[in-house]
Amino acid sequence: MFYIHQSSCISAQQTFANADINRLLEAVDNKLLVKEPSYDGIPTGILRRMGKAIRIGVGTALPLLRSSADPVAGIIIGTADGGMEDCIKFLNQIIDYDEGMLTPTNFVQSTTNAIAAQIGLLSANKSYNITHVHRGLAFENALLDADMLVKENATASYLVGGVDEISTYNYNIEHLGGWYKKEPIAATGLYSSGTIGSIAGEGAAMFIVNAVKANALCKVTGMHMLHTEDKQVVSEQMKLFLDKHLPVAEQVDLLLTGENGDSRLLHYYTQCEAVLNKQATVARFKHMTGEYASASAAALWLVTKILKDQDLPAHMIKYASTKTAYNRVLIYNTQKGKQHSFILAERTNLK
Amino acid sequence: MSRIFVTGMGCISAIGNSVTENRRALIAGTCGIGPLELFPTRYASLLPFGEVKITNTLLQEKLQAREPGLTRTTLLALHAMEEAIQNAALNSQQLNSFDTALIGASTVGGMCLTDELYHDANKTENGSAYLSSYDCASVNIYLQKRYAVNGVINTINTACSSSANAILYGARLIKNGLAERAIVGGVDSLAKFTINGFNALHILSPDKCTPFDEQRKGLNLGEGAAFLVLEKEEGAAGKRIYAELTGYCNSNDAFHPSSLSDEGDGPYLSMKGALDKAGISPDAVSFINAHGTGTENNDLTESRAMLRLFDDVPAFASTKGNTGHTLGAAGAIEAVYSILNLAHQEVYGGLNFNQPIAATGLKPVQAYVKKSLQHVMSNSFGFGGNCTSLVFSKTSS
Repeated sequence: MFYIHQSSCISAQQTFANADINRLLEAVDNKLLVKEPSYDGIPTGILRRMGKAIRIGVGTALPLLRSSADPVAGIIIGTADGGMEDCIKFLNQIIDYDEGMLTPTNFVQSTTNAIAAQIGLLSANKSYNITHVHRGLAFENALLDADMLVKENATASYLVGGVDEISTYNYNIEHLGGWYKKEPIAATGLYSSGTIGSIAGEGAAMFIVNAVKANALCKVTGMHMLHTEDKQVVSEQMKLFLDKHLPVAEQVDLLLTGENGDSRLLHYYTQCEAVLNKQATVARFKHMTGEYASASAAALWLVTKILKDQDLPAHMIKYASTKTAYNRVLIYNTQKGKQHSFILAERTNLK
Repeated sequence: MSRIFVTGMGCISAIGNSVTENRRALIAGTCGIGPLELFPTRYASLLPFGEVKITNTLLQEKLQAREPGLTRTTLLALHAMEEAIQNAALNSQQLNSFDTALIGASTVGGMCLTDELYHDANKTENGSAYLSSYDCASVNIYLQKRYAVNGVINTINTACSSSANAILYGARLIKNGLAERAIVGGVDSLAKFTINGFNALHILSPDKCTPFDEQRKGLNLGEGAAFLVLEKEEGAAGKRIYAELTGYCNSNDAFHPSSLSDEGDGPYLSMKGALDKAGISPDAVSFINAHGTGTENNDLTESRAMLRLFDDVPAFASTKGNTGHTLGAAGAIEAVYSILNLAHQEVYGGLNFNQPIAATGLKPVQAYVKKSLQHVMSNSFGFGGNCTSLVFSKTSS
């Protein structure tokens, strides 16, 4: 697919500046809210008008764009809901004021494409600009788009990322749907709860990608998406995916899954773990990021860091294999047991 | 790389429930914009809209779609997709193939259900049947499941250029060998969210919109859906081919969240990029289905961009005067109209035009006319500076 040259992430953990993923920061009120930085370089007046999804999207993207040697030839964002807080604020005004005269700020901020649009605007970038919103596969479609762009223009670099926020409102909607735990839950107790629902999360992760191997952080070698509720189909697709994308005689060293503490979804994850037959270390990340539609973007950021540093925090490990190096990492994630994805990444300083 | 052919189309809008009905209305110069009859809003009698005059109940019966939680947006999309699939004669084996992609687009998704969403977003108990229906993806997730489409499934939202980008994305999947065929399109239904949003921006016209007219007062919102079936040359053999998709380009105006730059950089770049992709010079364009919303900003900017790109601006018109602005569906509906232009070698006149914009002097085509057409461009520009242009070309057969 392509090489990752830069990455950035705003999450509920210390991932943005002086990243330290070994120290686990806890959830508050069943929510893993992002730790927002000071956003140096974004004018205060503009920052004040931005909703959180746009802030964290722009905040992760702009530093990468500033330090990129050439302007990127495309801005590709995956987000299920974009600026949900502004969206429902505007909706509430419509109802509360019975469609009276409203101010358009929340409306303009709430359009799902506003994150990519603001990144384009603030970096004066007039090239390809798109927003993929296919719920749990929004970020994966952004990766696929970037893959095609890199093939179509091998000399250019692209910005690709995933962003979603917890708003009061989508928290309520997901909570009503039974997707968050009703009982108080600590992030550290997420996987042993045995109950339905997960812990709410949010975040933004951005990547500069291109076709150039030199000085890359890692390489994304394959990605596959599917829609099914049948775990057999998922594991069969996983085998086919690995047959297609793993070099002959090579193995996955680390499986990073989106296991999220929801007892209804656990069987998808254990089914995929079984495919690797204890040959790979198994790790989890949703206790760090919480559950949200584009959480796989944060997973890819973590994988980029793990491949580079060769350091896997103990709190992420579910099962430790005998592997001593992490050369190839597979991410498996499912959104509510209906949308599934596999992302395969490898070290670029492999002999 | 493979050539991309259009082998099927489906369309529902304020001027017709099928491609055939839409064409008949375009030839007759029918305007589908008027008072609301079905959608409840306080603006129902104050502003004109391009409403599809079929109730949700009727759509559910006609489409045999009675699952709980289905929104009008999903029903309109299903209506258009069903027609496109029938039209392209795709069988279930082809639909179920891992080589068939389904790329949809919407800006409103299930947010047409403003009152239900208000309840669910602000309460902590007694959720409605629509909890998983509000996002834009809900439409395509339903369509995927209903038809068991197994290739790449995606939903795009780039505001008013959304479905033009769905077409572009599907074409690129085929070109990159990631699909043999792609069902591509978009949908939006009328919603208090967009009605009040555009009203707050003061860009809704109190009268029927008058694209490219000096006295234009804004746009009319509409609703509808359209899907195309794109197939690579090999797969289209023996089928009726409506047109070839030869050019496409997405670029950004990078100027303002809700208006276009004075010189129309984004529109200029998307039109130029689409011509470059098609490998044709500006003078080869026979006709442009303009974005032409009827707003002060869009029509002036689009005109300036056309004047920059073309030594002689080709024949152009906007069909927004027929359908209203259908937002995320507009790119796909107007792609259908552009393909009808080519397939029938005819041009539909823009409605309600009287006086050219003083600064540009450009006059759109105003009446139905038979015309020899080789390449037709379709423009879609949206909030966030998201501009996309497509070029469809006549096939030799």
